[in-house]
Amino acid sequence: MCILKPTRLAGAAVALLAIAGCSSLGVKPWQHEILARPEMALNASPIDAALDDHIYFSKEAASGGRSFGGGGCGCN
Amino acid sequence: MQLKRPRAPLQLGLMAASCALLSHTARADGSDDGEQPLVLDTALLYYKENAGRVLTIEPVVSLKKDFGDLRVLDGTLVIDTLSGATPNGAIPSRAPQTFASPSSTSLTPKPGYKTTLYTIAPGDLPQDPHFKERRVGTDLDWSQPVGLDNSVSFGGHFSTEHDFDSAAAHAGLSHDFNDKNTTVSASVSEEYDRIHAHGGNPLAGSDYSVYEKESSQTKSVSGGLIGLTQVMRRNWLTELNYTLDRSQGYLTDPYRILSVLDALGNLTGYRYENRPDTRTRQSLYWVNKLALGPTVLDLSYRRGIDSWGIHSDTVDAHLRVDLGRGMYLEPHARWYRQGAADFYDLYLSAAGAAPAFMSADPRLAGFDASTLGLKFAVSWGRSGELNVRYEQYQQRPSAQSSSLPALAGLDLNPNLKANIVQLGWHMEF
Amino acid sequence: MWGSRRASDTPPARRARAALRVPLLFGALLFGLMPGAPGAAPREEALDLGALKGRVVYLDFWASWCAPCRESFPWMNRLQQQLGPQGLVVVAVNVDRERRDADRFIEAQEPRFRIVFDPEGLLAEKFSVRGMPTSFLIDRDGHVQLRHEGFRLADREGLAREVGRLVLGKPANGGSS
Repeated sequence: MCILKPTRLAGAAVALLAIAGCSSLGVKPWQHEILARPEMALNASPIDAALDDHIYFSKEAASGGRSFGGGGCGCN
Repeated sequence: MQLKRPRAPLQLGLMAASCALLSHTARADGSDDGEQPLVLDTALLYYKENAGRVLTIEPVVSLKKDFGDLRVLDGTLVIDTLSGATPNGAIPSRAPQTFASPSSTSLTPKPGYKTTLYTIAPGDLPQDPHFKERRVGTDLDWSQPVGLDNSVSFGGHFSTEHDFDSAAAHAGLSHDFNDKNTTVSASVSEEYDRIHAHGGNPLAGSDYSVYEKESSQTKSVSGGLIGLTQVMRRNWLTELNYTLDRSQGYLTDPYRILSVLDALGNLTGYRYENRPDTRTRQSLYWVNKLALGPTVLDLSYRRGIDSWGIHSDTVDAHLRVDLGRGMYLEPHARWYRQGAADFYDLYLSAAGAAPAFMSADPRLAGFDASTLGLKFAVSWGRSGELNVRYEQYQQRPSAQSSSLPALAGLDLNPNLKANIVQLGWHMEF
Repeated sequence: MWGSRRASDTPPARRARAALRVPLLFGALLFGLMPGAPGAAPREEALDLGALKGRVVYLDFWASWCAPCRESFPWMNRLQQQLGPQGLVVVAVNVDRERRDADRFIEAQEPRFRIVFDPEGLLAEKFSVRGMPTSFLIDRDGHVQLRHEGFRLADREGLAREVGRLVLGKPANGGSS
């Protein structure tokens, strides 16, 4: 499938989003002991990530894509 | 009928006392209840390219404070000093070539005008050795929970350098559900930039020898992101983000030119580059965090497409290997590939009319790139860490030579190699 | 479900308890202030709420990796200390998979209330815990009066008031004093 067309790319994203929203996936709220470790955070090394992003933004045509949210200890 | 027993004075006093006591008390160690530490993250980056090209020294300082209950303020300051030579877009030639540094106001020495020239030896890649820049950037971000399952964030960014100023703002929100196994997030951002090149912005696509400059230009970028984070297993977290952004305004690089060649490959002149004034980009980014015992694997893939015809693929992997006693080693590998922009070419042909858009900027060329790195860190408790990382970055362009007779044997877009060293310190006070 | 009233709930028993209240209060405070006081914080493998009927139970589900739990422990210590003599029992159920993670947390926090270990999460499942931490306020008859998710600074005063109200405000069920 040619994923180059903008509409197809967006469509694939929406389909993946729908699939991943299955409530059968996941763990119980008291089973977050591994996910709560700081190194399991999606932005575990924010400075490294920011400096890398800056280098690749200066040297390559593509950039970004990241954002942060979810996982972790699920507290509060 | 049951009468309610009146509360004894001791009980009332006790209740009042307990409520007062339980709402706020200083801890034995003197700190207030719920007082979170101030987090400092600082690093120094050293980036050096081969063949006398760019050298960057970049200190970063970031301070983060949680005001209790995950209401966090995050501030960052970056100072970026760049020097070294940067390619100007022209290709090597058999004869020496002379160019004027962008800060010049005239190509030929004239009274009342500034002319800084540099000459490139035959066969060498034309690059401006006078490149020197210092950029200062700051970011300020605020995030806080809203209710039990949502959070909101917003922030601003500002940076300035001699020829470029940028201001941006962003806002986002996220919602947890499925017992906090799933998080959906969305954010928007807006950026406004002003480009005032050294010596003035050249007239796009114009003849280099005319050296016509104009005043500053602007550009703006609007972007949006939607993301989904899903806990897959006890030890596996995955995130998928879709980003769309649109830039409009002055998107041309004011310093880049293209060589104009005749049918045999002989140089007939140069032209300033000219890029479209809009660009729409989309990317799909998928990242995974997987814990295998004390080891953690961070694996991501990103696919990008844009309206300039550039498609890219990125695969990035970090493996954090715990060494015990608070130390860890983290090897890193990244592989990147991009296709050339529609209007990219190594040079322009003198025959026929000049195309509407053209650029020989190596950043818009087709190439593949790889990074290999290693990070070593030592931490003490949860409150401090010192780390050092070394990386090597290589870019291999796909179009590097031409069959034209005058260009035989010349490397028109050499490989790029860079060494990166970074020192970092994380501290909680 | 919770069985009939026990002998210790008869009027003479209650009067005796009332008479002992003041010295008991001071005694309990004294005990609370002494570190490592014997029997001050039992460690259990099972939760028997039936045995706690007649007292108000503050049941809290916690884990060593739960950041807000670090704030809740000193608060629960004070809760137990202040309202324990009035019939409050704080029971903190730990859901850590690794016992040594829980032990490390306990060593740092020095809780002076009961700890129950639930590494398989059976109790958490039974109580339909949906976030960490989650606490339940159970009245003297064994009914859950309040369910609270999370532990935020802003919640503490309200929670303390609720606990205080249940422990001190309502008389023990049935009969008159």
